[in-house]
Amino acid sequence: MALLEINDLNVSFSSYSQRTQVLRDVSLKIEQGQRVALIGETGSGKSVTSKTILNTLPGNANVESGQVSWRGEDLLSKSDGERERLKGIEMSVVMQDPLSSFNPVFTIGRHLEDVLYWADRRAGKRRSRADRVTHIHDVLRKVQLGDPERVMASYPAQLSGGMRQRVLIALALMNRPAMLIADEPGTALDVTTQDEILRLINDLVTEVGLSLLMITHNLGVVRMTADYVYVMRKGVIVEHGPLEQIFDNPRTDYTRELINAIPPLYGASVKDQPVSSEAPLVKLEGVSKTFTRRHLLGASDHTHAVRDVSIDIPRGEIFGLAGESGSGKTTVARMVMGMMGATSGKITVDGMDLSAQKDGRIDRKLAQIVYQNPGTSLNPKRTVAQTLDVPLRFAGLDATDRAKRTDELLELVNMPRHFAARYPHELSGGQKQRIAIARALAADPKLIVLDEPTSALDVSVQKRVIALLEELRSDLGLTFLFISHDLSLMRNFCSHIAIMLRGELVEQGTPAQVFADPKHPYTRALIAAVPVISTEEEAAKPIVTQAEKQKFLVSSAA
Amino acid sequence: MSATSVSIPEPDAPVILSARRMAWLRFRANPVALIGAFMVITVLLCAAFAPWIAPYPDHAGNVIDFANRHAAPSSEHWAGADKVGRDILSRVIFGFRVSLLLVVGVLGVAVPVGAALGLCAGYFGGRTEFLITGFTNVMLAIPPLIMALAVGSVLSPTLINAMIAIAMLWWTWHARLVYRVAKSVAAEDFVEAARLAGATHWHILTKEILPNCIAVISVKTTLDAAFVILFGATLSFLGLGVRPPTPDLGSMVADGRQFLPEMWWGVLTPALGIFYATLGFNLLGDGLRDMFDVEV
Repeated sequence: MALLEINDLNVSFSSYSQRTQVLRDVSLKIEQGQRVALIGETGSGKSVTSKTILNTLPGNANVESGQVSWRGEDLLSKSDGERERLKGIEMSVVMQDPLSSFNPVFTIGRHLEDVLYWADRRAGKRRSRADRVTHIHDVLRKVQLGDPERVMASYPAQLSGGMRQRVLIALALMNRPAMLIADEPGTALDVTTQDEILRLINDLVTEVGLSLLMITHNLGVVRMTADYVYVMRKGVIVEHGPLEQIFDNPRTDYTRELINAIPPLYGASVKDQPVSSEAPLVKLEGVSKTFTRRHLLGASDHTHAVRDVSIDIPRGEIFGLAGESGSGKTTVARMVMGMMGATSGKITVDGMDLSAQKDGRIDRKLAQIVYQNPGTSLNPKRTVAQTLDVPLRFAGLDATDRAKRTDELLELVNMPRHFAARYPHELSGGQKQRIAIARALAADPKLIVLDEPTSALDVSVQKRVIALLEELRSDLGLTFLFISHDLSLMRNFCSHIAIMLRGELVEQGTPAQVFADPKHPYTRALIAAVPVISTEEEAAKPIVTQAEKQKFLVSSAA
Repeated sequence: MSATSVSIPEPDAPVILSARRMAWLRFRANPVALIGAFMVITVLLCAAFAPWIAPYPDHAGNVIDFANRHAAPSSEHWAGADKVGRDILSRVIFGFRVSLLLVVGVLGVAVPVGAALGLCAGYFGGRTEFLITGFTNVMLAIPPLIMALAVGSVLSPTLINAMIAIAMLWWTWHARLVYRVAKSVAAEDFVEAARLAGATHWHILTKEILPNCIAVISVKTTLDAAFVILFGATLSFLGLGVRPPTPDLGSMVADGRQFLPEMWWGVLTPALGIFYATLGFNLLGDGLRDMFDVEV
């Protein structure tokens, strides 16, 4: 008998007399000790599936038909109370965002102890406080948190993202559940931390004999953590099979597209971008940025966000700036845009010294930016036409020229003309990002700073947006400063790459050089942590020892 | 890779509703909001068509009918008559005019002033923010009733002066609210993008930030209408509002109070009038708040 079996599940959401079917005849099976992955893009219904299993669907959801059986018993016919008792004991969940899962005013120890206390109460067990603490220490050690005493005394904000995610896993494992549901457990973390967390989950599955339901959009993660894969699209399971079959011999076009959309890290299909040999458009010489926070009493705090960075970006280059969160890559971009002055050093854009400019503001014809989150970079109250109108109007164009140019811009980013009348909420994520690119192009700049322009998008959408950017670069002769943490994307899209660690530039060169022979140990650790989708790529990665890796993990608490 | 393609059923695309349609659906699904809207509309209609609706339109003026002095509610005078024999129902219907005039006068000044100051404080930050929020906080410390009494006694106790007194303090609430919203909107990427595109401060304030504050302003204004009616009634109850014989709900309650408890109708109907108008605006405001999904 399978541990969990879902048969022909249909779920719909209703809001204001509108009914939307989100799951259609979903069937899924998890055997004892099996690692199953559910993959799909945004809106495919993978989280709704896990919520149906856990009975945490929102109020406007409606399970229309189908069964969810746990060890042969139908869960949907049970009462909420009975299903509540299964949680934490039979099945547990690890969510995407480790910070919002904690209450910031309680210590980690308090969170863990409360959960254990109430689980004991429900199970009718009595345990002394000392016993509970010993048990928690054991579990924390199991998730590789070496100093349980200190972790328990910390507040959530004092732990790093990776540590918080470990604590969440510990929380989920507290009562030895039979199944762990992991909903995008590494997505909010840096790539090196994500790698550690996935390895940990894998180890636990083998050691404790857990069954795993891994929900993710990342195929590399799937390859690391699953034996059996279900591919979901728009509420339908389009394909399922053992891992090798899905990856090597996909039966549907959709799965094939999904796999092909992943930029390869190594191998024959890797793309090398032409390197520019022109004069530099942007020049940074020994640039540093220190943030100072003044206190009313006592000494000021200094944070060295960027230290002594020197780079040249030739015209026509796609210059990639890679690094994990807090590495200072966004600060560099903001300084290049003139939105922020450098503490020391010199920044020149197109022969113009930025520090000599009034307010340090850069000419809008020189540089424009495309932001990471298309949801917040477009004004929700303005239509596409109104958004595109702003740069044109302030460039002094008259109404007829503006209308003509708006059409041209939409055409440049491959959007139909009638989209001009739409509001942002009527657009998909990829479409919003196209509009953001069009807005940046409207001012006719020489340099476009791309601040993680695809990290909020699905891979298939990312592929199309990247193709558009490549096309614009060759058609309009643009120069890009591309900021990202996605190394496999940078390998294929950038013509030059620089790696930052804690505010310093540790390595730079063409992607081909850097990836074939990474010099700095951090670069090696970073590349080694990228989840890839084939064994050949895995083998081509640099080999990094555990000790080397540990050096660059943000491991300590405050 | 074998190319045995399997066709995937294509589900229907989700229906995307326009923001306006979505808001209307949300409003319609809220019975409380609909009741509030109905109440407000009846108050507005009463005020607009008072001379045609009121059973004794001339009783809004200087009429004396001693035969009906303190007449109890009857088929002739549904809500009874006051101390000089005027029909109370007619005077309540006319009384809505004064109440609404006060609402328009006070909020017509306070909302634009408060919103403009809040926008500037939230967007410009720095010294502007410090000065505006500081001044707002100082003004908030003045009790409105004391202010109204002071203005009423220094100038003269008239409707216009009551309006001035209330408006002088009322803008502070709008300034604070809009400041809070504008500050968070100003930190959004689209504001920075507009600035990088060369937009002027005026454009950013009026075209980028203000449209994102409209929901919050309209909810607050609707809820405020109720408070202004209540506050105006309080002032005229204390004799600081409208001069007789103009019918006003607050002063009618004050007049009727002298003849309690025997002639209870002199107080009941004007009090119910205040209650009805206040409740209507409150319910409508709550409904709008749910519809726009904002915090006020």
